Amino acid sequence: MAATAKKTEDLSQFGQTVIEGKNVTKVFGETVTALEGANFDIRAGEFISLVGPSGCGKSTLLRLVAGLIEKTSGDVKVNDDLVTKPRTDIGMMFQKAVLLDWRTAIENVLLPSEMKHRITQEDKDKAMASLELVGLKGFEFHFPKQLSGGMQQRVALARLIQTGADIMLMDEPFGALDEFTRERLNVELMRIVGELKATTLFVTHNIQEAIYLADRVMVMTPRPGKIAEIIEVKFERPRDISIQTSREFNIIIEQVRDTLGSH
Amino acid sequence: MKPVSFLISFLKYSLSFIIVLALWEAYARYGGLNELFLPRPSKIGAKLYSLFVKVEVIEQGTIYWHFYATLAQMSIGFAYGITIGTTLAVLAAFNETFRRYVAPYAVVFNVTPGIAVLPLIIAWFGFGWESKIALATLVCFFPPFINTLTGLLKKNDEAIELFQTIGATQSQYFWKQQLPNALPEVFAGLKLAITTALLGTIVAQFGSATEGVGILMQRFAFRLDMAGSFASLVTMAIMGLLVFTIAEVMDRRIVFWRDAKGLERVSKKKQRKLMVNG
Repeated sequence: MAATAKKTEDLSQFGQTVIEGKNVTKVFGETVTALEGANFDIRAGEFISLVGPSGCGKSTLLRLVAGLIEKTSGDVKVNDDLVTKPRTDIGMMFQKAVLLDWRTAIENVLLPSEMKHRITQEDKDKAMASLELVGLKGFEFHFPKQLSGGMQQRVALARLIQTGADIMLMDEPFGALDEFTRERLNVELMRIVGELKATTLFVTHNIQEAIYLADRVMVMTPRPGKIAEIIEVKFERPRDISIQTSREFNIIIEQVRDTLGSH
Repeated sequence: MKPVSFLISFLKYSLSFIIVLALWEAYARYGGLNELFLPRPSKIGAKLYSLFVKVEVIEQGTIYWHFYATLAQMSIGFAYGITIGTTLAVLAAFNETFRRYVAPYAVVFNVTPGIAVLPLIIAWFGFGWESKIALATLVCFFPPFINTLTGLLKKNDEAIELFQTIGATQSQYFWKQQLPNALPEVFAGLKLAITTALLGTIVAQFGSATEGVGILMQRFAFRLDMAGSFASLVTMAIMGLLVFTIAEVMDRRIVFWRDAKGLERVSKKKQRKLMVNG
């Protein structure tokens, strides 16, 4: 297996293992193998992109880490703890913003805090700060339907930040946005994860986006879903959007394409 | 809407209404319309004037008393109907066994013409207010039931996942997501129910009653007092409009997020509130 064969990766620059998968397999029903024998080791503060076509098991892998679905075999550990039920020490973002239409932006951001205790002034201040961080200052009292698709995803990101989780799981969060909005949000996400120093698992089917954001790209192939290769991306952070036209960047794109094409 | 454009559209509507009435009146006077079928508008107007302004006593009461009795019977029936309907819906939404075995009866109830049960209702509840309330309840519980159930069962996988990852309990999920998410459907059901409750009440009054707009209509028609019958009809229409408008206004207030105007209004209000508090 390519993933295990390539043991030359240098993970020393990152902290200890935060998310670990050992031979993780997920079979839906009796016959649909969504993910087969996945091994991964994600370090604190790392940004990992999972890239691949539909049906390659990338969303399945993400949901296994979140504890939203149960593995068929193998082990998934988060912070050295076997994942057996939905975890609340992770924050999640979806393709849809999943905002409550009857709540303003700030009330949506406050939702995770409400699950734990009564809202305090401190929570409100934090929510204001989260919204400012994602570039939505001045839109705190707008309702989701008054915001564009890109702004709705920013609210979802602010809500994720509000959870205080230092593990962020993102399932094609910008997949439904137009190219320009996506690019702008990529740049902002780059800045924000830099500030938060969170460990991020980012699912996408856009190769450029995957490489631009990630420290390592896990390339996945379908039928059955597998991690085919893990590629390191060594550009310094914060990265300018212009690196996407550099030669090195395009070499990595080729590498990802080769892996996807050879399966 | 600007006041001027509102005034203009109001005038346009009034004008078209007056033209229809004038044509009707002219046909009745000079065209030989048989007034045993259709009384002329001026006579209906005169009857309404005598009922509402001169407060003529008919069937041992004023029009206001009959209006009140009907409205009260309808409201109580409506309250029972929505309580039963929404309670059954919540039970059915959370218990699959209940949904499977009880919901079909509700559907059978609904397809059976409720009004046809009136003789039975009278046999059970007598000639007083109870039978009117009972029929109103019976004919109006279904829309709140089926709509609330549909609203609560709306599929929302991503919201469920979100609430799981932020550690929500079942009850937090219900109050903060599932219930508000169902409100548009719930209110659509209530709006349907409020007019059917009025229908049930009035039909029950036809069966037997000593007060109510329905009984007025019936007595006038039996005496071939067409102006009186039509005046009763207008009264019913006013009542229907009144209750429907109340439901509509509540709907717009509570389910404000359905249209841009509502969103803007609440958004501005919340912003102002913060300015004051902060």
